[in-house]
Amino acid sequence: MLLLGKIALGLAGTAVAGVGLLCSEGMIQVNVIEKRPEGHHIHVMAPALLLPIGMHFAPKEGISEASAEIQLWLPTIRAALAQLRECDDFAFVEVKEPGQQVRVAKSGGSIVVDVNSEEQSVHVSAPIRAMSSAVGELAAAAPATER
Amino acid sequence: MANGFRKLALLGALALAISTAAIAAQKDHYLHIKVDDPAKGESVNVNVPLSMAEKILPTVNRGNLHQGRVTISNEDMDGVDLRTILDAIRTAPDNEFVTVKQHGQDVRVAKLNGNLVVHVREAGEGGHKVDITVPMKVVDALFSTAKKDELDVAAALRALADAGDTLLVSVQDATQHVRIWVDSRSSQE
Repeated sequence: MLLLGKIALGLAGTAVAGVGLLCSEGMIQVNVIEKRPEGHHIHVMAPALLLPIGMHFAPKEGISEASAEIQLWLPTIRAALAQLRECDDFAFVEVKEPGQQVRVAKSGGSIVVDVNSEEQSVHVSAPIRAMSSAVGELAAAAPATER
Repeated sequence: MANGFRKLALLGALALAISTAAIAAQKDHYLHIKVDDPAKGESVNVNVPLSMAEKILPTVNRGNLHQGRVTISNEDMDGVDLRTILDAIRTAPDNEFVTVKQHGQDVRVAKLNGNLVVHVREAGEGGHKVDITVPMKVVDALFSTAKKDELDVAAALRALADAGDTLLVSVQDATQHVRIWVDSRSSQE
């Protein structure tokens, strides 16, 4: 009985540690609400760690073209992400026009995009750390001559 | 005893004042761009921390932009020696340097309170009103490179951050109002 208890405790501890690790880079959130009767409401919340892991295991031939194109802008993207991590929360861009608002902001370690129109509202949030890791994985997928 | 407390309180207040000043000095400055079109009910706000722009700019090496510097060809300048003109302005006292009045347009360029000021007024209803104010320190930083055909934009951004709250550009026409300014607030509210 005591042994079973220890095993259960070990499994629970491993599960908690696994969940903690998975959520260590924050969560990616996508929320889409269609503003019509019986409109769809899509809400996806996934651990951000899956993004660089997914990029790592993605077929290299599939992303090599994008990877080659990003090489030139890699120092700029890295500098921007590094600076974003350090600076306070702020909105980069806010666009308002009749019937539609768009807001791109840095909020609590994430980049948040909000689009609110008469038809739908879209909310996307991605942690900057995960974006940095994903960019690193994308850069690593370039053919050796490109790097 | 009371004297000791008074000294302690004074030291505390001094320490508080110094730390507040230090925190204020460290505060990031933001470049704000606001485009308003009240007739259409449209507005665009862009906010960029100057420290971020300063760090990113040197990483962009495309076209005329290299290491935070812009190369200007002689053709672009149309034979105008900007450095010589600015040297003359820098050493001159506050004054109105250029006033051009031509058909339907007044252009005034002056140095006022350490700023280079440009006003353009177009006659007629809906004519453009342009006001540009650039601190001379920023202008100096812009031309601080050794090469004659280069502008040091990164140095200008650093100088802009040091210059404090400044309204740089205001353009008003019949329908739109564009404003570019620098302050220590992250939002435009």
